[in-house]
Amino acid sequence: MSDETNISGHDEDGLLVAEYVLGVLPDAERTSLRARLRNEPLLRSDLNFWRSRLASLDVEFAETTAPAHIWSRIEQRLFTGQAKSGWWNSLALWRSAAAGAFAVAAIAIAINVTTPRVDPKAFAAELVAALSAEGSNVSFVALYSSTGELRLTPLSGEQPTDKDYELWAIEDGAAPKSMGVIAANARNDVKIAPDILIDFGEGTTLAVTLEQKGGSPTGGPQGPVVAAGKATLI
Amino acid sequence: MGAETAEIADLIARCALRDRAAFRDLYRRTSAKLFGVTLRILRDRSEAEEALQEVYVKIWQRADRYVPGGYSPISWLVAVARNHSLDVLRARKPQSEDIDMALDVADAGPDPEKAAADRGERSRIDNCLGQLDGDKADAVRGAYLDGYSYEELSERHKVPLNTMRTWLRRSLIKLRECLTA
Repeated sequence: MSDETNISGHDEDGLLVAEYVLGVLPDAERTSLRARLRNEPLLRSDLNFWRSRLASLDVEFAETTAPAHIWSRIEQRLFTGQAKSGWWNSLALWRSAAAGAFAVAAIAIAINVTTPRVDPKAFAAELVAALSAEGSNVSFVALYSSTGELRLTPLSGEQPTDKDYELWAIEDGAAPKSMGVIAANARNDVKIAPDILIDFGEGTTLAVTLEQKGGSPTGGPQGPVVAAGKATLI
Repeated sequence: MGAETAEIADLIARCALRDRAAFRDLYRRTSAKLFGVTLRILRDRSEAEEALQEVYVKIWQRADRYVPGGYSPISWLVAVARNHSLDVLRARKPQSEDIDMALDVADAGPDPEKAAADRGERSRIDNCLGQLDGDKADAVRGAYLDGYSYEELSERHKVPLNTMRTWLRRSLIKLRECLTA
């Protein structure tokens, strides 16, 4: 782009932002400015300037009642498969799960290396997840191998006598899928069912809930989550 | 901040905390406005409906990015709706990659009579737009309200593409001077 003008430096940037807010920037420039806006506070203050000033024109967008089916489609898009405000939607829970993940992942790798192997061929782990939760003393480490097997090792916590722990796989925005009842006092080798395996990968959340003996009868988690974590690449 | 504005800000904050009732309330109170945005920019009812859905999905997913104080919460919502509509619009009709600019085009300068006539009760932006030539103010409004690209603006105003960009940029410089004055 040739630019025969005395506009330069920040003024030029300010103009780019104005063009961006107006919506006239050509695609390539629009994309690159968007990326810069994320990292440059000065540009963001220009963005605020133009957005707030030009927003005075917003009154000219005539209010038009949207057809009723739109709302139900939005709800469907965002919330299908999820029971009313489930714990898997809780921001605080995932934040605490993520915070502990790195520390436990380190332990996980150590365990993977030091645990005596019964199998003749080594368990080639590709993904690891550290499962823990604030206010719970139960924690697990999960290792996933490309053979479609999940090895879940308890790190702490007691095996309850009158209840069972159940393991769930959760993809972003979808309902938890049960991976069965697991033990808190022994290593669990879980064969991942095909319908779970299809989406299983980096970013999949694994969660353990406390359920009645034999696991949740409804197919969805009923009890409190005692440990959760996201699968990350080793 | 007005009571209405504060309430909308509060609803957005509660959406960030995954409060679905707040989200429903936010939709109920703001969807007519945002539908107005997607309709005007996309000029196609079914595309506008589709876009409205996407816009609220984004609002739910990005509610935690709204920072109160920058600009009004309804402006933020309108910005989300405008941005999404513009993305749809641009994807519909790809435009040229690059527009050369020559900023040495003769500039007629503001029309003092028009500027004077336009002062008075109108808001600041209207006042400042009023100080631009009529067709230059129209170009700014057309871009903001109708989502016209430089191509469309140059067709409508019957000037070459690069002249159009030069025009609009000059107008924006004047607008910024007026708005910060």
